[in-house]
Amino acid sequence: MRETIVGPFAGKFVGHAVRRVEDPRLLTGEGRYVDDVQLSGMLHAAFVRSPHAHAHIRNIEVAAARRSPGVVDIITGAEMETLVHPFIGMLALKGLYDPRFYALSSKRVRHVGDPVAIVIAESRAQAEDAIELVEVSYETIEAVANASDALDSRKPPLWDNRSNVLFDFANTYGEVDAAFAGADRVISHQFKEQRVSNQPMETRGIVVEIDPKSSAITVHAATQSAHMLKWVLALLSDRASIPASIKTLAINRDRVTRFAKSAKAILTAKPELKEPSPMMPAMVKQFRAEPSRFVDLQRAMLGLLAKSDNDRPEVLARDIGGAFGTKGSASREDLAVYAAARKLGRSVKWIEDRNEHLMGGGHSRDEIVDISMAVRNDGTLLGMKVSLTLDQGAYPAFPFGGSMFSQIIRVMFPGPYRVPVMQFNGKVVATNKGTLVAYRGPWAVETFVRERMFDMVARELGITAAEVRLRNIVTMAELPTPMITGPMLDVRMSAHRTLVDAIAIADYDNWPAAQLAARANGKILGLGIATFCEAAPGPPDFFEHSIPGSGALAGIEPAKIVLEADGMVAVITQQVPHGQGHETTLAQVAADQLGIPIEAIRVRYGDTKITPFAMMGTGGSRSAAMAGGVVTFAARELKERIVDIAADLMEASREDIVIEAGNVHVAGVPARGITLADIAVEARRRDQNAAPGEAIRVAQEFDGGEGGWTQATHACWVEVDLETGQVAIPRYVVVEDCGEIINPAIVDGQIRGGIAQGIGQVLYEKITYDDAGQFQTGTFMDYLIPTACEIPDIEIHHIETPSEIEANYRGVGEGGMVVAPAALTNAIENALAHLGVRISEPYLPPSKILELAGVIQTARSTAR
Amino acid sequence: MNSTNSRIAVAITVNGTAHELQVPARQTLAECVREELGLTGTHLGCEHGVCGACTVLVDGQAARSCLVLTVQADGATIETVESLANDDTLHAVQQAMVDNHGFQCAFCAPGFLMTIKALIDNQAVLTKATLREELSGNLCRCTGYASILAGAEAVLGLTGESNA
Repeated sequence: MRETIVGPFAGKFVGHAVRRVEDPRLLTGEGRYVDDVQLSGMLHAAFVRSPHAHAHIRNIEVAAARRSPGVVDIITGAEMETLVHPFIGMLALKGLYDPRFYALSSKRVRHVGDPVAIVIAESRAQAEDAIELVEVSYETIEAVANASDALDSRKPPLWDNRSNVLFDFANTYGEVDAAFAGADRVISHQFKEQRVSNQPMETRGIVVEIDPKSSAITVHAATQSAHMLKWVLALLSDRASIPASIKTLAINRDRVTRFAKSAKAILTAKPELKEPSPMMPAMVKQFRAEPSRFVDLQRAMLGLLAKSDNDRPEVLARDIGGAFGTKGSASREDLAVYAAARKLGRSVKWIEDRNEHLMGGGHSRDEIVDISMAVRNDGTLLGMKVSLTLDQGAYPAFPFGGSMFSQIIRVMFPGPYRVPVMQFNGKVVATNKGTLVAYRGPWAVETFVRERMFDMVARELGITAAEVRLRNIVTMAELPTPMITGPMLDVRMSAHRTLVDAIAIADYDNWPAAQLAARANGKILGLGIATFCEAAPGPPDFFEHSIPGSGALAGIEPAKIVLEADGMVAVITQQVPHGQGHETTLAQVAADQLGIPIEAIRVRYGDTKITPFAMMGTGGSRSAAMAGGVVTFAARELKERIVDIAADLMEASREDIVIEAGNVHVAGVPARGITLADIAVEARRRDQNAAPGEAIRVAQEFDGGEGGWTQATHACWVEVDLETGQVAIPRYVVVEDCGEIINPAIVDGQIRGGIAQGIGQVLYEKITYDDAGQFQTGTFMDYLIPTACEIPDIEIHHIETPSEIEANYRGVGEGGMVVAPAALTNAIENALAHLGVRISEPYLPPSKILELAGVIQTARSTAR
Repeated sequence: MNSTNSRIAVAITVNGTAHELQVPARQTLAECVREELGLTGTHLGCEHGVCGACTVLVDGQAARSCLVLTVQADGATIETVESLANDDTLHAVQQAMVDNHGFQCAFCAPGFLMTIKALIDNQAVLTKATLREELSGNLCRCTGYASILAGAEAVLGLTGESNA
């Protein structure tokens, strides 16, 4: 079933499983991951972390630790507050309270692993020795250990004597009550998703390099967005008072002028930003309620304005050992290490260990969803009522976390189905747990709940799981049609076709008979299906429907493409690949446009000194469409410029110039061709202002055009062993449509990798806290990552809906992980249905399977 | 406190080069190759012996270098991922992984490559199923393993056999 990988290829590259450009470097040990950065005189950081879920800090005693060998400095939370600004949430949503917090905690700790001091020493081992000598006196507070605690007003508040419900919202789409009143049946269920964690094989890490001579700052980081990290560090570091910043600006008026100039340039380029943001009313309300919030924000912004170029970092992200969303945030630790390096004027390295990464490196999911579906007896869906409670832990991810995910969950809930009316209520709550971050489809609960619920509705109504879906899924004849929540399902929305194909491939109609026959032979088999769509990148207005006011900044993808003086072509992207193979795929796209071999292209990324500005980085299944698109169009413009020069040099008309395999020639006479190096020489002769090493430079931005969706149906077969509780997956089928495929081996790798994480979530993975908020899964012996023995062979069937749209590439990064938990859980429930089993949570280790099947007694749950 | 500063003499051969080192007693072999010798191809994923990213060969056997102290390796011959390629020619296992898109972020790759190298060198008799077991001590979070298994099967000559 796997794609044949092709080697050097002379024709079209897009559509072929071209070998990865990255591999020779990465497979020989020549990769440079953040922990590989070793600088002379570099210091090492380690964090003193809270052992308690919730406690007041009464005292910190660091004298003994300071005397420990190799210790250079210890910065406690109180001192850190003089060095940095607080993190201030940037999302202004009606009804949202976004707490402010510092890089280190000074008065109160809010989860196990909450950092309270940073130790800087000559070696990592010495820093770790010293943290043992820091004596922190805690006075514990009752923990808010889970969402039900957060909803209990008798429990202590985490933030400023406010409710632990930080965000409470409700959206009504259509006449919901009337639809429910007219239904044959209203079927309701409560679902939960356990807390899981991304756990890339490389933990988080940062090296803040301070040039001893110039004091220029280079931040080596494992980050999904280099520019985001740069500007967050610049904004929140070097805390100064407002008068001090004004004084600096009075002395350095050029900084005000420079700011005004760049602001004007941005507003000219993006006039929509002049309109008052839909976020303004909520923001003003936030400031009125909390004037100190306004002061903090102004202080940070003025401080940023007053900074010289040399006081802002450049970020350099090289090879990154996976992320899946967790490196899309700027973390408290990043800022603490940065502040320590700035204070000491020395380079400092911090590499998180696995225990820290499990505790505080980023968790995800952790939702409770109550859903009611109003249906006719034939399975037609008349409306949904959904109530979401999302547990984002103690500290919201920055810049975006649980509140943003709650909005995407809302918008995505209908998926590719006809949902005539919908009521959506949501709560985001604070608990004494680690930070909730994006994890490969941070909205995935909508797919899990909707696709589980369809199975439950089918069982209630006595129809098949396929039938209930077929009755409600949007067919291609209905396109385009908007989702009830706003975003448009365009004419390429082929979810219906993936469902129909999967049903046929699975021989679904004959399944009940096959299942019964197997059961007669003592085999407990199940088949589950699930269908979904992912915004990859979504229609043009997708962000506006999620977070009004966010679209103008979120949507733009820039790229530069340069013919270099030596005839090589550089593609310079703001994407920060961390396993996706952009050095290969973006080169394929550019190579086809230019008519040159892959080997003639270098993809450059991760360095804020050279890459175009964008805050999004790599994430959200956006890069195929967004970066693939902008590279297509920029490369096309570069080709036009090359052809102009070639036509002059060869005294031919532009239309007759052909570029094939790097040979620029007049059609029909390849033997008399010239090279891109020849073009580069001529271009540099014509353009005396070309930058050193460059001949022709093209810069473009792309708004995503039509955007679009990726959609798929997964079918999963299981065999359940009722003696051991083990679940085997004898077959797994994917039918998906992501438009034109740039590199089939990379696409399939993304799908398989996502499904592996989805299988992990269902059968193995759970981040566990006890009722007192104590963390219980601090090693890979407790938090189980699936191995090669646990992941089945996965059959992938691609379909491509024909389209006139240029660069019809769409992302596939998240889908496998979004839909696999639903498909697998549906299969397990199908296997156990004859025992009356109903499954509400996608965490089904052997003990849970045996409990559900009634083989063993339900253990008293001590861990939630 | 002195114990953390005391150093112990060890002699190890790494990728064919003999080294005589004075190392802290608590230094792991992973720290030794990465920091003392600058061979950063060996990666640390969990530092508690589960993920296998740090796998190196110690006297020809796959070992987790995060669980081996440098002093325990005194007198041993160590091979790391940097030893595999010969100038520009990739080792067969590396080439098989390139040919099969074995890895994505490739942080786990050095551990897999060295584990498979040991299987090749030790002439392990394998089926596709037992190969999965042999590789189950190495975690990959990106790929779902199919591409890594395909590369390993190719280099170990298991491609023709059914997946029994």
